[in-house]
Amino acid sequence: MSSEPLLRVENLKTQFFTEAGTVRAVDGISFEVREGEIVGLVGESGAGKSVASMSIMGLVEAPGEIVGGEITYKGETIFGLEEGPDGELRKRDDALSDEEIRTRIRGNEIAVIFQDPMESLNPVFTVGGQLREFIELNRGLEADEARAEAIDMLREVGIPDPEERYEEYPHQFSGGMRQRVLIAMALACEPSLIIADEPTTALDVTVEGQILELVDELQSKYGTSFVWVTHDLGVVAEICDRVNVMYLGEIVEQAPVDELFYETKHPYTDALLDSIPRPDRTVTELEAIEGVMPEAIEPPSGCRFHPRCPDAREVCKRVHPETRVVADADGEPHRAACVKHDAFDVDYEGSPPLAGATRETGDGVAEGTASELAPNPADDGGEGRE
Amino acid sequence: MKLLKYTVYRLAQAVPVLIGISVITFLLANLGPGDPVSLMLQGQEHSEELVRAIERRYGLDRPLHERYLTYMAGLLQGDLGQSIYYERPVTDLILDRLGPTLLLVVSAYVFALATAIPLGVVAADRRNEPTDHVSRIAALVGVSTPSFWIGIVLILVFAVKLGWLPSSGLYYPWRPPSAYRGIDGHLELYYQSARHLLLPMIALGTLQMATIMRVERTQMIESLQGEYVKLARAYGVPERTVLRKHAFQVAQLPIITIVGLNLSTAIGGAVLVETVFNINGMGQLFVGAIQRNDYQLVMGVTMMLGVLFVVGVIITDISYAYVDPRVTYGERE
Repeated sequence: MSSEPLLRVENLKTQFFTEAGTVRAVDGISFEVREGEIVGLVGESGAGKSVASMSIMGLVEAPGEIVGGEITYKGETIFGLEEGPDGELRKRDDALSDEEIRTRIRGNEIAVIFQDPMESLNPVFTVGGQLREFIELNRGLEADEARAEAIDMLREVGIPDPEERYEEYPHQFSGGMRQRVLIAMALACEPSLIIADEPTTALDVTVEGQILELVDELQSKYGTSFVWVTHDLGVVAEICDRVNVMYLGEIVEQAPVDELFYETKHPYTDALLDSIPRPDRTVTELEAIEGVMPEAIEPPSGCRFHPRCPDAREVCKRVHPETRVVADADGEPHRAACVKHDAFDVDYEGSPPLAGATRETGDGVAEGTASELAPNPADDGGEGRE
Repeated sequence: MKLLKYTVYRLAQAVPVLIGISVITFLLANLGPGDPVSLMLQGQEHSEELVRAIERRYGLDRPLHERYLTYMAGLLQGDLGQSIYYERPVTDLILDRLGPTLLLVVSAYVFALATAIPLGVVAADRRNEPTDHVSRIAALVGVSTPSFWIGIVLILVFAVKLGWLPSSGLYYPWRPPSAYRGIDGHLELYYQSARHLLLPMIALGTLQMATIMRVERTQMIESLQGEYVKLARAYGVPERTVLRKHAFQVAQLPIITIVGLNLSTAIGGAVLVETVFNINGMGQLFVGAIQRNDYQLVMGVTMMLGVLFVVGVIITDISYAYVDPRVTYGERE
């Protein structure tokens, strides 16, 4: 574990100012990415994963804006706010300017791979031309050197006849081949970090498998770090080293990948795992997570997951848990934002379960009765059902 | 090479269209009200024999299908028949007048494209800012004002009130009218020719400019939201290049379509503008022919305008194929 991580995101907040209200898309997340590591950012649609990754690149579009937090990359501040003399927030002096982020960070230090390979390439330019442009720009190469580099990179990502394919247009490539082009594009700029925003979501499963294998292989060869944004825990299990689970703009659980899967500490992660088929468990029916994720305009009080949480108790409506270390996994902290852990001293055990909380608590808690049969607290009576 | 094949293919497709145009114009001209024979007699006292003789001379006594076939046979040899009023071959009359009309339409488009595209890009880039609102109002006015009215106002202001520009006529610099004979130097002739062109060009081009500008703005806004634009930004491409290259190139495809489709309104508008500016082009020839019931000339001009339109559409299609790599040149994979 080196002392300074490659990327550190601290208490990042990104909001969208819409007519319906302020959408708190990313609401105070912290995580880090170390050299050579693949870090997962997992969650349902709308959890704020993509906004978080675009915030790192400084590419949040209006009406969105980063309103708080700090992002450091290789010890330099990419984004940072401070309070000005009149109490207003302003950009810190040591933070990089927009121009510096564009020329020094985007592409050459942090590259991206987007979700939709069909839409990400410009339809009216050749694949080679687009690769060459980005390579020229980010590595300062001459046109013919950049061309040679582009062709080498196309070969590297497994595109046959790269010299000929270089001259072709995106519509002449299949989805999987286009995603390989985008991977080639990212790697060819020789960044230290690649943000992959659901790069395999638009692909079919066999192609997805090939792409994941390719990324795994290239990652060990080049030592590039990745932030892998996905909603697919299967993909996470396959390639990630550490995982951040996001729910409604917050990171609710953060752990090394094996620890997350086998020592799950947050009911939301649990629910996610129960909702996907697993070879190591035989079930007759998969359990979907009840309900839909609420709007990030007015998130629920207390723990944001409590309306859907099978373990929810009265206290969950009141106390908003910030992410805390709840266990130790071979020297790595395992963080979770759930008050049922001892790290949160809020008398979870003494609090009555909420109506709709359907599960007996699994942590060996001495509660003999199934929670749905437990008496409802008075203030909750309206929602009570047998 | 593929493009050449596509061109030939599109030209071949135009043949049935042109045959269709010829049938329709022939029927309209021959079955419509009005009688060419009485035009020729110009209200003189006449005997039944004279009418018969004239009918025989122009083949008007034969059945319609026979007359059509004769007409088509002539058409294939470039013979569009004889104008009754001018007593000259229709082909010669059209060739005389085609130039000014083409010059007017082409320059109106050049004017429209040269102004509308930059304005549309700026409006998209400054979306919902004052520049955008002003351009929207200007476009609305441009779309809703008829070209002949714009022409009249332009004449009133720039020719009558200010006296800066001539109010009528249109000339090629290489074929100057007698008034300009003896002027030394080509530059002066070009200058005079351009002065004559300016007002009718604006009158005809304004509608096109307004339409193209709105489409350009919409397309640019859509293109700027594309994933490929996001990708270019994420790779550190400067905003200017994103706007002028990555977003711009994709946004131009529908503009080509608009130009092609609006060709018919432009040619129709040219007829009006030529009348307002007293330009000796196809428009005036056409209007005169209709008024005089000169049916051979009406057919000839209609055919010619049809051909112009078809050629315009083909040029549009071919340039589309040239600009957009996704067009498959009509071949099956």
